[in-house]
Amino acid sequence: MVGASQLALTNPIPRAGSAVTVAALEELYHAHGARLKSVAYHIVGNRQDAEDAVQETFLKLHRALPGFQGQSNIGTWLCRIVINVCYDIARRRKRETEAPPDSPGANQQIALRVDLRDALGRIHPKHRMVFLLFEVEGLRHSEIAAILEIPEGTSKAWLFEAKKELKRLLTEARQ
Amino acid sequence: MIFQCQDLDRALATPELLPDAREHARDCPRCAEQLFLWAEISRLAPQLHEEWDSPTLWPRIQEALAAAPKSRLPRAASFWRWPLAAAALLTLAWALSNPWRSAGPAGPQNRQFLTQDALREVQQAEAAYSRSIDRLSALAGPGLDQSPSPLAALYREKLLVLDSAIADLQQNVQANRYNVYLQGQLASLYREKQRTLQEWVENANRN
Repeated sequence: MVGASQLALTNPIPRAGSAVTVAALEELYHAHGARLKSVAYHIVGNRQDAEDAVQETFLKLHRALPGFQGQSNIGTWLCRIVINVCYDIARRRKRETEAPPDSPGANQQIALRVDLRDALGRIHPKHRMVFLLFEVEGLRHSEIAAILEIPEGTSKAWLFEAKKELKRLLTEARQ
Repeated sequence: MIFQCQDLDRALATPELLPDAREHARDCPRCAEQLFLWAEISRLAPQLHEEWDSPTLWPRIQEALAAAPKSRLPRAASFWRWPLAAAALLTLAWALSNPWRSAGPAGPQNRQFLTQDALREVQQAEAAYSRSIDRLSALAGPGLDQSPSPLAALYREKLLVLDSAIADLQQNVQANRYNVYLQGQLASLYREKQRTLQEWVENANRN
């Protein structure tokens, strides 16, 4: 797993006004690609879409990097881009495969076993995102706050809510 | 503190209360399970990190980057672009918001409009600019059109922007031929195009 410290990568980051080389992007890919894929996977739900999201993220980065003023860490910025790209993909997928309305008794057909992964998919998206970044990917609240553009206190509060929701779902599953 | 089951959520949010919660859980299986789950969630979470090999992903990204349009020009290139675009937009907006001024030749009381004589002079000046620009374009020739150098790309792009702004302004001038301001803006764009071509030709001659 990629450690949290890697998010604060200090390798040379192309700055505004400098040329964005493919080599620089490749370096960023090797430093952050694994985490980006994992974050993407948890939003879009499959590896193919997750890889597409990472690809789109780097294209967006390539377009936007010349304007990057270094206000935030590049890893934070990449995470923010991939999350937005994934939400777009998820929205598109939802439109493409609009689920048929639940038939009566559909709930009964849902498997009773709810493990943590399934439960994570059922909690509030903003709580899930904080849980994913903090507990799964090992980011700090300050980094999550920068990525999601929320106060650090909100990040902590959403994490607590996420864990409460997960605990409730796991409790239900165990009964 | 006498810890009760309903205090559990508060204890989970307040680490100082956790020892009391644990003490209570010794005799309360329900709270014990809740505490166990709470700890398990954090313990198991890192295992949800997904990692898999994607040997084709970076090559795919590289391919997509190569196919993507060039993202930017060097900083010097964009220096003039926005002021110029803003000036052109302002001019167009101003022209569109003042259509009544194009009703026809102005009377002598209105200094915002050209007289017939002045218009003739402006048109002569415009024709002179056009001839000069044509000559310079011929001199710049294929060197400018075909050179792969970033500098040539910079000049080509600048000329494209200028041509586009000139075309827009010309349309407005057609409808407001006596408008001093529009004619002035058009003349300044011609001057800028002339200067740009001259610069390129001089650079090319030096090299």
